Amino acid sequence: MSATARDEALELVPGLVERVDASGRYGLVGSLCPDCGASAFPRAGCCPQCQGTPQRRVVGTAGSLYTYTVVRTRAPFGLPEPYAVGYVDLDESGLRVFGLIDPAAVDALAVGQRMEVGLDRLGVDGGGRPCLRPVFRPERMAADTGVGR
Amino acid sequence: MSTPVYVAGIGSTAFARQPERSLLDLAAEAGRRALADAGLAPSEIGLGAFANALAGKLFGDLTVGQNAFAALGMARLPVVNVENACTSGSTAFYLACLAVRAGEVECAMVIGAEKMCVPQLGLLSSGDSELDTLLGLVTPASFAMRARRHMAEFGTTAAQLAQVSVKNRRHGMLNPLAQFRTEVTVEEVLASPMIADPLTRLQSCPMADGAAALIVCSASMAKRLGARVVVRAATLSTGNYDNPQDMVRWRTDREGAYQAYEQAGIGPEDLDVVECHDAFSIAEILHYEALGLCAPGEGGRLVAAGATALGGRVPVNVSGGLLSRGHPVGATGVEQIVELTRQLRGTAGARQVPGARLGLAHCMGGDRAADTKSMTVAVLAA
Ligand SMILES: [Zn+2]
Repeated sequence: MSATARDEALELVPGLVERVDASGRYGLVGSLCPDCGASAFPRAGCCPQCQGTPQRRVVGTAGSLYTYTVVRTRAPFGLPEPYAVGYVDLDESGLRVFGLIDPAAVDALAVGQRMEVGLDRLGVDGGGRPCLRPVFRPERMAADTGVGR
Repeated sequence: MSTPVYVAGIGSTAFARQPERSLLDLAAEAGRRALADAGLAPSEIGLGAFANALAGKLFGDLTVGQNAFAALGMARLPVVNVENACTSGSTAFYLACLAVRAGEVECAMVIGAEKMCVPQLGLLSSGDSELDTLLGLVTPASFAMRARRHMAEFGTTAAQLAQVSVKNRRHGMLNPLAQFRTEVTVEEVLASPMIADPLTRLQSCPMADGAAALIVCSASMAKRLGARVVVRAATLSTGNYDNPQDMVRWRTDREGAYQAYEQAGIGPEDLDVVECHDAFSIAEILHYEALGLCAPGEGGRLVAAGATALGGRVPVNVSGGLLSRGHPVGATGVEQIVELTRQLRGTAGARQVPGARLGLAHCMGGDRAADTKSMTVAVLAA
């Protein structure tokens, strides 16, 4: 999908991800509490551990797949059928985060594999409009991450 | 428990698709049966706890409990409506036990009822507006991911998962109230349509309409009524939501179970019969491990060895469980305790565990941050 096509649709929940470099890599935006050190995703307005005020922080750009499943029931929110979801252990913060997995990877998933964060046009929002959702996708090899993708 | 609480009466409707019957109708039938079983008049009940999870969402109905108790001739009774997802019914039981134990009432009545086999049901999730839901987390996916991880870490096989369904369906054949009363084979379970890998349809509990009721009372009232089944523990716990969450060594499950063991002064080795929340095949395996019926990771091998079947070392879900009965959400947690009471009275018929003296009912509800939101355990003794 080209950058232009991606930009036409709006993010389902704005602010969940931010672009971390020009090659289409994204980071999940969560928070870090300066008082107790607790990380959170999504971003916490108030720290549930100590009621402190957490600061915005990219909590992960990549990690390993803790577990996953391919859902083959009727898909909610116009998601593809089937679609995959999983939990990824993020390198940067150690958080175990739930998310959608790139539909192109549905048939090639394994526990422990390397994943990175992306943002793709996937499903619809509450009003039935196509929208962007954060996804985990198999990590590209270093050679694949150059300009031009 | 410091002040003993007894089970005075039990009653259930059939668990099935019952399109012709209303929620109120189901609730009233279960309540009427429990009153008759206890030998109590409506005027003798001191508190009503009504459990239902979906009427607000499906029908826009609220405070249904007052309607149900009014239909049973208890218009002036103090009534509380309880919603705690799948543990709604067992949470209502917990509250009823608290009220009797506190000496506030001589007896309290719990009714759990659900009517969910309706076209508007849709997909069940942890909450329509939660981020995980918007990102595609449907309830079966949550347990499918636990199953996938359990297989990867412990070598649990698809056939072992299927054995849970095979066992519970075999038990369900012996329960006249169950929705599914036919045997299935491992091959049939595995060949049924895939819901969320590796869980197939026959490893997912079906929907049902149904209701269950029970009455708990003080020792003095139990003596008058001749009630012998005593509540040794009734616990309610909530998730810790720690991150990262170990999805196959379920800390909330484990701690909830051991809190109940401590309250009852028993250990897992003392149990004669267990009803647990087998919403999916993997759930029962995880609960074996959390309840200490086997070592962590050994649940698949435990069921495959037949240890949890009727006649085995520790029979689990001899009622047929959610997998055979179906899962009318608000009724399930009550029905589990009703079934234990039958077992401990020795009135469970063809599925009776011979000489059962001590039983445990375990229930879980809601999903948040890879943890459960709510968990209940009840330990009952004859
Ligand atoms: Zn903090």
